[in-house]
Amino acid sequence: MNTLIKVIRTEQMKLKRSPVWIAFLTLPAISAFFGTFNYLNNLDLLKSEWFSLWSQHSLFLCYFFMPALIGTYCSCLWRLEHTRHNWHSFLTAPVPRLTLYLGKLFHAVLMTVLSSVWIFTLFYVCGRLCGIQAPFPAAASEWFVCGIAGGTAICCVQLYISLMIRSFALPVGIALAGGIGGLFMTSKGFGLYYPYSLYSMGMRANNPQREIDLVSFCVNSAAYIVVFAGLSVFYLHKHEMAAG
Amino acid sequence: MKTLKMEFYKIKRRKTGLTLGAMTAVQFLWCVWAFRGPDEYERLQGWLGTLYSMPLLNSIMMPTIMAVLASRLADIEHKGNTYKQLRTLRNAGTLFNAKVLCGLLFILMMYAAQLLFLILLGHSLHYEGRPDMGLYLRYLFLSIACTFALYLLQLTLSMLFFNQMIPLVTGLCGSMLGLILMYLYNWNLRSLFPWGGYIATMFVGADWNPQTRIMTYYLMETSENGLLSHGFIFLWAAVFYITGRWLFTRREA
Repeated sequence: MNTLIKVIRTEQMKLKRSPVWIAFLTLPAISAFFGTFNYLNNLDLLKSEWFSLWSQHSLFLCYFFMPALIGTYCSCLWRLEHTRHNWHSFLTAPVPRLTLYLGKLFHAVLMTVLSSVWIFTLFYVCGRLCGIQAPFPAAASEWFVCGIAGGTAICCVQLYISLMIRSFALPVGIALAGGIGGLFMTSKGFGLYYPYSLYSMGMRANNPQREIDLVSFCVNSAAYIVVFAGLSVFYLHKHEMAAG
Repeated sequence: MKTLKMEFYKIKRRKTGLTLGAMTAVQFLWCVWAFRGPDEYERLQGWLGTLYSMPLLNSIMMPTIMAVLASRLADIEHKGNTYKQLRTLRNAGTLFNAKVLCGLLFILMMYAAQLLFLILLGHSLHYEGRPDMGLYLRYLFLSIACTFALYLLQLTLSMLFFNQMIPLVTGLCGSMLGLILMYLYNWNLRSLFPWGGYIATMFVGADWNPQTRIMTYYLMETSENGLLSHGFIFLWAAVFYITGRWLFTRREA
């Protein structure tokens, strides 16, 4: 446990002064601004107050851009390791590979949690500014928790992809393509089985009244987390020979 | 010419073409899914409908694809720390031009593939008649211009920042803005953003009838605002090229 905390602190030092906050602040803010604008322009059609506003805020962000945003975080986490000969120092640290990986995963999930907190903060503030008087929906806490579970699954997939691919940009492109594919899978009814749509399903993007099978959702998210975390740790063991 | 050739040597075996091909394939798969199983009425106006849908799809995907392309071409210099060495061999402006041309060739290839795919898809779905090549070439020209302007912006950012997060996030924000601008009916506002060019220069409109649930496509006349939108694309391209080249040549190696 002590080693894990040290690894987490090391990762934190690597991220120091990294412009992660730009991604974290801007994308949800653009979505919230235009979502609110669209909500206010269609008040005659959108009558469900908080739920209507949520559909406008979350539609594009959760389907297309959160997977890409998580992809950016994950690329950022592996970038230093992929630069020059840093794999040597990373892999020769007297720490188990699993712990090294968990350090990365912790920060990827932390940034996903912070992004989600920011999304909900914007949602609340915009709702109040729009003059919605009804109490904040209690169901939002469930959306948040499910969103984090789905987001963690995407983190594991993207960490694996960014680990294998040295390029910063390519995994982000894959994540965007994955998000677009998620829209297709959700429309076909396979959203719960496809990692990139788990976040939008969990957050009930575009449809706050949607019922999802929570057991399947949790099992599938956990399965993606375990499988891709396992693949990453396995790759880290293999990577030792290819370092440099 | 030599510098351009060197650019292609640098990206040899880096699978840049494959990367762009894969991302374009996602667009194609989307088209196959979105246009599948047309009825008689949809076949009748299929060729026009395609010209309505493609700018929307481009405005979602192209900003990010351009961010990826620019980052792939620029990141190799950051990782190898090659600026100083290269600038002893070549003029900085020539280097920038070579990267611009290299990217432009990729863009042209992508759109050539897109045109070919759209024609093949239309024929395989038995669209009525033949595609109006004048309209298709107009679409191609405007889309290439928009994409090129975005590429110039992304290339400048990717060359200036070691951390590729900034250009990538700009690309993602651009994709999101492009998507959101579709829902704004203020055409002037769309033209003001370089990412809104695809939508602002659309020349095929659609009427949705909620009763019959039928979409009817029609050719829009180019208004003064429309011409302004066309002008903005070239203005953005010129601004990004001049600023990018200026910043790059003054950059500390």
